[in-house]
Amino acid sequence: MNKISQILTVSELTKEIRATLEETFEQISVVGEISNFKSHISGHWYFSLIDSDAVINCTMWKGFNQYVFFTPQDGMKIIANGRLTVYPPRGSYQLDIRSIKPAGLGELQEAFEKLKKKLDSEGLFDEAYKKEIPAFPQKIGVVTAIDGAAFQDLISVASRRFPLAEIVIAPARVQGNGAAASIVNSIKQLNDFPDIDVIIVARGGGSIEDLWAFNEEVVARTIFKSKVPVISGVGHEVDFTIADYVSDLRAPTPSVAMEIATPDIVDINNFILKFISEATENIEELIESKSEAIIQNLDSYGFRLPMNILNRKTQQLDLNINSITQSIDWSMMIYDNKIKLLSKSLEAFDIEKSLKRGFVLVKQNSKFVKRALDFNRDKKAQLKFYDGEITTG
Amino acid sequence: MAKKKSKGNIEQDLIRLEEISRVLEEDNVELEKAMSLFEEGVKLSKSCLKTLKEAELKITELKSELGKIAQDED
Repeated sequence: MNKISQILTVSELTKEIRATLEETFEQISVVGEISNFKSHISGHWYFSLIDSDAVINCTMWKGFNQYVFFTPQDGMKIIANGRLTVYPPRGSYQLDIRSIKPAGLGELQEAFEKLKKKLDSEGLFDEAYKKEIPAFPQKIGVVTAIDGAAFQDLISVASRRFPLAEIVIAPARVQGNGAAASIVNSIKQLNDFPDIDVIIVARGGGSIEDLWAFNEEVVARTIFKSKVPVISGVGHEVDFTIADYVSDLRAPTPSVAMEIATPDIVDINNFILKFISEATENIEELIESKSEAIIQNLDSYGFRLPMNILNRKTQQLDLNINSITQSIDWSMMIYDNKIKLLSKSLEAFDIEKSLKRGFVLVKQNSKFVKRALDFNRDKKAQLKFYDGEITTG
Repeated sequence: MAKKKSKGNIEQDLIRLEEISRVLEEDNVELEKAMSLFEEGVKLSKSCLKTLKEAELKITELKSELGKIAQDED
């Protein structure tokens, strides 16, 4: 094909360029610095990759960029993987990116420092904005992955320390694609939920990539805007995230976050037991001191006076009773003597004495015969003399 | 956020116990008043201890938005 003698239309030429470029650069990796990054409302990303001498326009469609664990920032050096496409209406070519990754861990570190500096200068980390963490939360909101180890730790700490609380879990994706959006959504959900006292945003340990969602600007701003106090517990002691700086309190781990959020039931128990023993002691002392006061009053001269009068009267009464008893005893003696005299005179009427004088008692059928009329001449009779009995007939 | 619903709020109960404790420690408290506060405190303590003993962590799960996000990917 002799291209010099052949005259091509613009479209024909563009078509050939397109075919050549797209076939040649169908699967390439490019390293470059991000510039002019824009995330469109549609979800697509538009930016340029640059180095000191050149620039190339890039697109990354929503279907692909949602798998990127970090939000690109201008100045970040990345390795992009994709293909070259030509756009005939504008006569331009661009890199259609399938996947990106930071050119090195240093890039993430740098992005982290940049965002930290930016938010710090905006005042998002100021102590003045830190909300107080309530001592006795009734509802504790939790943002974490429901299948993660962090969630298990949070639940076990809460049920050990303060089972009076209610845990309201707003499940979130805590790493990989969509993690930042998911965390943001959960924090907002908990803010809309009634009566949440404190929110714990947590994730177990992992690499800087794993924890990256907590370094995203959108997460930081959502935490800052939260009406409910937020405690962050992300990764291990050594891990610091942007979320840690902007939250109202940073806990080194998820477990510690829950420990900070909850009072210990053992302490409460001890407090109550201490109250009971101290209150009992106080009230006993009070009663003791009051009764001492009463005893002292009773012992005073004024209080003894009526007692003395009473004692005197009692003594008088005793004397009176004594003399009455004595006079009763005396009359008893007189009566006793009278009875003795009477029984003596009664003795005079004794039957035995009459018999001695010659009287006889007559019995028939073991009965005394008192009248002549009652005497039966045909029957035996017993005659009783003073010195013995005889039977007649 | 405003402090809400005092019902079953252990924090309120503990604050009350502290108040009672303070009054009982005063030297010149009236016996009648002390007795009634003491009675109230002991009653409150017992109910608190019971609440603590019977407490069980309640877990509520909010509907996840993950499903929605997954659908958006189509």
